[in-house]
Amino acid sequence: MRGLKVLSGCAVALALLAPLAVKAHGPSRQKVSETVEINAPAAKVWARIGNFQDIGWLPGVEKTEGTGGNADKATRKITLKGGATIDEELYAYSAEKMSYSYRITQVDVKVLPVNNYSSTITVTPAGDNKSTIEWRGAFYRGFMNNDPPPELSDEAAVKAVSGIYRAGLDSLKKELEATQ
Amino acid sequence: MKLVAAIICAAALGAIAPGLADEAFTPDQNGDDVSVLDLQTRKLVATIPVGGKPAGIAMSPDAAFAYVTSTEGKYLSVIDTAERKIVRKIMIPDTPLGVAADPAGTFVYVAGFYDNHLYEIDPREGRIVATLDVGHAPSGIALTPDDKLIVTADREDNQLSIIDAASFTRQRIVKVGEHPFGVTIDAPRHRVYAADVESDDMSVVDYENGELVGTVKVGKRPYAIALAQDLAFVTNQYAGTVSVIDLKTLLPIKTIPVGDYPEGIEASADGKTIYVANWFSNEVFAIDVASLTVTAKMPVGDGPRAFGTFLRQTK
Repeated sequence: MRGLKVLSGCAVALALLAPLAVKAHGPSRQKVSETVEINAPAAKVWARIGNFQDIGWLPGVEKTEGTGGNADKATRKITLKGGATIDEELYAYSAEKMSYSYRITQVDVKVLPVNNYSSTITVTPAGDNKSTIEWRGAFYRGFMNNDPPPELSDEAAVKAVSGIYRAGLDSLKKELEATQ
Repeated sequence: MKLVAAIICAAALGAIAPGLADEAFTPDQNGDDVSVLDLQTRKLVATIPVGGKPAGIAMSPDAAFAYVTSTEGKYLSVIDTAERKIVRKIMIPDTPLGVAADPAGTFVYVAGFYDNHLYEIDPREGRIVATLDVGHAPSGIALTPDDKLIVTADREDNQLSIIDAASFTRQRIVKVGEHPFGVTIDAPRHRVYAADVESDDMSVVDYENGELVGTVKVGKRPYAIALAQDLAFVTNQYAGTVSVIDLKTLLPIKTIPVGDYPEGIEASADGKTIYVANWFSNEVFAIDVASLTVTAKMPVGDGPRAFGTFLRQTK
């Protein structure tokens, strides 16, 4: 649920801001890496998250719609509870490595205060009946000019993304360990 | 006793430290410092705090100084490379990203990312001496070795600006691929190569006549280019690879897996080794040019971008 709170908190704060200049890039790239250890075999974990067309395991997601399956340049539109959307495109997928990478092609900074966002999620076996998920992201802040307001700063971007990753990973742990 | 200890220490350090191996200086954007790697021992030998989210770097022609842009701090740090110390901070009125030093050792050029300016800076006096309008979001900067031309990659305009260095005026605008970022000069062929981040290719431009002479497909999200032995090496950030291109045929010949989000890349002075800074995985890789294989992995600080010329010859 933390992810949802982060999202809705941002939306409220950002709705008050004037329209922003659109730029695809900034100078200071941020990175986030969150991990979770799950008491379940990697294959089971991958079976839950390995379909790019279904991110229903992430709290706050209403539905996922897309085209192209798990092929290169497959797309998905994530609709969040409340109606906001995030468009994403797949750029690397390996069932063998239990990993996929995607980027955001369209999101309002009021929904998620980032630009030029890319991400990779990977499942790694960690012994018998155990596995680790790493979810990592690289992105720029929401405000693409000098001197950002605090709501669109580097820190705000990192906080929002970490919050979503944490919420997703903690929820997966709970769900997958409950169905052992 | 302190004095004696200091003398002994100095003597001991003198015997092993300077003058032996080349070094890499990586601006670590997330860690707010510059890591110094000894490329012979492959060890981290110094960490210089610079602050302000450093990203771009240029080495002075004599390698005595490194010029590092701090994107959030909006300044250029002048680092004494032997002493590992900042000797001057020059404030820039915009977010500075790309930086290049002229071959004569007179000026340093800095790209102002949001206000679309190229600044000509006297690093000794620590001041901006001239300001030129270029395209939107100027990123990489390169100079021809004869000191006549300056090239900027104007990222948001999908173009290169070719600037006459003596008069500091723009001569030409050349359209390239989408969102060019790093630019590298190939003087024997009168070419400049641009890594086009969003179209996943490398543009080849003749800087004498201002023509786009070729476009070469590389990996996903190319950022910067190094040259060695008739080959171009292009970092592909999303792919986590380096594309190797034959400069005679402009055909790709190999893709080398490296670390995560590779960015800064440069060839050693002898052209035998390529060094790549991997931004996400915090390491510099060495690639042997003869075998086109990774031969070393060296940990550095958090978020090495090393955008520009980051290798220092100590001999």
